Amino acid sequence: MRSQFICVDALNGDGKLVDDYTPTAKSGATYHPLTGNLPIKVATTGVDVFYADKQALFDVSLDIPDRSVTAFIGPSGCGKSTFLRCMNRMNDTIDTAKVTGSVRIDGEEVNDRSVDPVVLRARVGMVFQKPNPFPKSIYDNVAYGPRIHGLAENKEEHDAIVETALRKAGLWEEVADRLDLPGTALSGGQQQRLVIARAIAVNPEVILMDEPCSALDPIATARIEELIDELRENYCIIMVTHSMAQAARVSQSTAFFHLGRLVEYGPTEEIFTNPKDTRTQDYITGRFG
Amino acid sequence: MHISLLTALALLVLTAIGFYIGRQRAYGAGRGRAASLHSLPNYYGYYIALWVGAPAFLLLAVYGVIGAGLVNMLVLKDLERAGAPLVAQYEAQLDQDQLYQDLQEQLVQSTAELEAVEREISYIRRENTVQAERYEDLRARLPEVSSQRISLINQIDAREEEIYLGVFQGAPVEGDGFTARAGFEFSHLPPERRQLYISNMRAYAFDEALASRDTPELRAAGALFRPYHQILRYSVAGLALALALAGLVFSRGKIAKRFRARNHVEKALSLLLFATSVIAVLTTLGIVCSLIFESLRFFGAIDWRLHEFLLGLHWSPQVGIRSDQIGQSGAFGAVPLFAGTALITVIAMAVAVPIGLMSAIYLSEYASPLMRSWAKPILEVLAGIPTVVYGFFALLTVGPFLRDVALMLGYENAATQSALSAGLVMGVMIIPFVSSLSDDVINAVPQTLRDGSYAMGATKSETVRAVVLPAALPGIVGAILLAVSRAVGETMIVVMAAGQGANLTINPLESVTTITVQIVALLTGDQEFDSAKTLSAFALGLVLFMLTLLLNIIALRVVQRYREKYD
Repeated sequence: MRSQFICVDALNGDGKLVDDYTPTAKSGATYHPLTGNLPIKVATTGVDVFYADKQALFDVSLDIPDRSVTAFIGPSGCGKSTFLRCMNRMNDTIDTAKVTGSVRIDGEEVNDRSVDPVVLRARVGMVFQKPNPFPKSIYDNVAYGPRIHGLAENKEEHDAIVETALRKAGLWEEVADRLDLPGTALSGGQQQRLVIARAIAVNPEVILMDEPCSALDPIATARIEELIDELRENYCIIMVTHSMAQAARVSQSTAFFHLGRLVEYGPTEEIFTNPKDTRTQDYITGRFG
Repeated sequence: MHISLLTALALLVLTAIGFYIGRQRAYGAGRGRAASLHSLPNYYGYYIALWVGAPAFLLLAVYGVIGAGLVNMLVLKDLERAGAPLVAQYEAQLDQDQLYQDLQEQLVQSTAELEAVEREISYIRRENTVQAERYEDLRARLPEVSSQRISLINQIDAREEEIYLGVFQGAPVEGDGFTARAGFEFSHLPPERRQLYISNMRAYAFDEALASRDTPELRAAGALFRPYHQILRYSVAGLALALALAGLVFSRGKIAKRFRARNHVEKALSLLLFATSVIAVLTTLGIVCSLIFESLRFFGAIDWRLHEFLLGLHWSPQVGIRSDQIGQSGAFGAVPLFAGTALITVIAMAVAVPIGLMSAIYLSEYASPLMRSWAKPILEVLAGIPTVVYGFFALLTVGPFLRDVALMLGYENAATQSALSAGLVMGVMIIPFVSSLSDDVINAVPQTLRDGSYAMGATKSETVRAVVLPAALPGIVGAILLAVSRAVGETMIVVMAAGQGANLTINPLESVTTITVQIVALLTGDQEFDSAKTLSAFALGLVLFMLTLLLNIIALRVVQRYREKYD
């Protein structure tokens, strides 16, 4: 596995260089080598995850650029969702899960004891595979985060936050006149955009998306992809996807995971046109997975 | 050995043989290759076994249900025939007896007089005409007239008895004479005592130890049973075996390579399942019907003053012992019972809902798997305690404790039996009910909702309060409604701990009574089942049934709608 590829093992945190990829773990000011002009938002080093006795993720290290879309691809059970959940410490909610290694957002260690996961998750939003609007009105769904974090003083500010978030999620036009409707009454695609609006209502810096389109039809999927592309301007977006076409369409960098290990990481174009690892090639050409 | 048992054993053996034959024939038809048959060989076996066993066992079952009744009917016919001459003699003597005829005539007059007086009284009452003097006069006469009539009735009875005894003692006492005497005796019995007589006759036919009386007449009548019983028994056994053999021959002939035995067996199975569900439904229907009919009798007994029953504030179901007593028609205002039931239910729910719900939240959201595996079974032990144990816990521990506390706080009228003690203990009883149902619905809330909330930076309690509980609310409401219907119908605790007095109060320290308690009070002990007092129990039962049915329907609807939302 230690190889000539743009590869994880290069990022083990000891600063060893491999080819053209410079792993950085020093400070948030560093620019990302894959994208050149974008700063590094999330830097991970040697992340292992265990569920009870079973190790799900082996020694993953990679840096994720800000203001771009990074896609994690790989066959089911390869650990990509697990890795995603390390970034907002969602693995804490699973009793048996244990995470080691370092995950830094803007240079700040996420796994540090002093970090309150509740505050962290306000900075790192998350969108799930199945649209999961709360059993509340559309308005209350979006206002949920601002309320629990006390982001607004009064009704007007709440209204403003809700409207902005819904506009950013491209849902405002469709629901402006029926904000009292239960969120569950919307269509699947609308629900997913509602959930995205809910996530961006608390002004996160990073948005994690765990297969955000796998439960949607192609039209709704296209709409979400458009939205992701728009959101890229302002957020660091990390998405897990099963659709390689989707990864190719919306992401700027792509990481391929296999059996709990990061196999290859590079600019999306390169991964899809000129993969360096044979496993990556086999996967994207549909030979397995 | 008992012939029915032998028949059943023989049928079982035949069925087994039928199964074996079916399988063998199937192999034969398929030339030893099971795959060339339409169904697996076992199905051919089941098919024949069904034809052998089912009709014959059905016959035995029918015989078991109606056999005894059939024999009784035949014997009673014989008994009537044997006793007919004596009955004729008795009736002739009654006709000729001057005293008896005179008494009958007087009774007719006396009845007419009584009716006239009663009519006039009720007329004056109804019209509110000012005839106070006449009214008082009539009221004064009434007891005299009615007691006169009762004494006449008694005299007639005594005269009848005299003549009856005369005829009975004059009857011959040898050979068939005893049977005739038995028939005469039986015909003279009032209807409610006939069942006992029949039981005694049957005792002498089958098992003397069960007899409660020993007379030559009973022994003679008992002898009538045996021949019928034997004939019926043997013919049924023979018929059952014949049916089994016929089934064997018929079904054996049908076994062929392309015969669809599997489909036939499937059909038989679905018939069996249908029959069992029909039994369940019919039983329920029967219970409901009996409730309704007895309630109708009660409403008839209170002259269809339904509003008095449902809205009346006074409950005292005592009815005069003699049917012609005035002003003893009882008071059947059930509101105090409804109020008592409601009070205790409210107290019980005030205990059970918060504790049950919160423990469900703790167990499903907070507790570690280890804690959960300990706490949940322990909580469910509460559900396994018999309600009578809760009852004496309420009566002997909680009740006196509450009374002492109330006395200490300066409340003088505190009683041991109070709505509070019954309600508290009932609440404890219902806790596992609420908690385990709520636990189920809370666990059914999809994990993605919780994840969504955590991912927004919500804490556990915020997530529970703002996401999990609202999502589970319909299910929780359903659980609570089911718990309410349980509390409303609970009997033993309130019988022991709530008291009997039908007080209309909202003071939880007073003793109140509930619908269920009154039903128990009305129906325990020796009761005549045609007085309004006893019948009112059925009307209360009907109200209770309607109430719990309604609650259950609403609860199930709510729960169902909740399920649709997340499945």
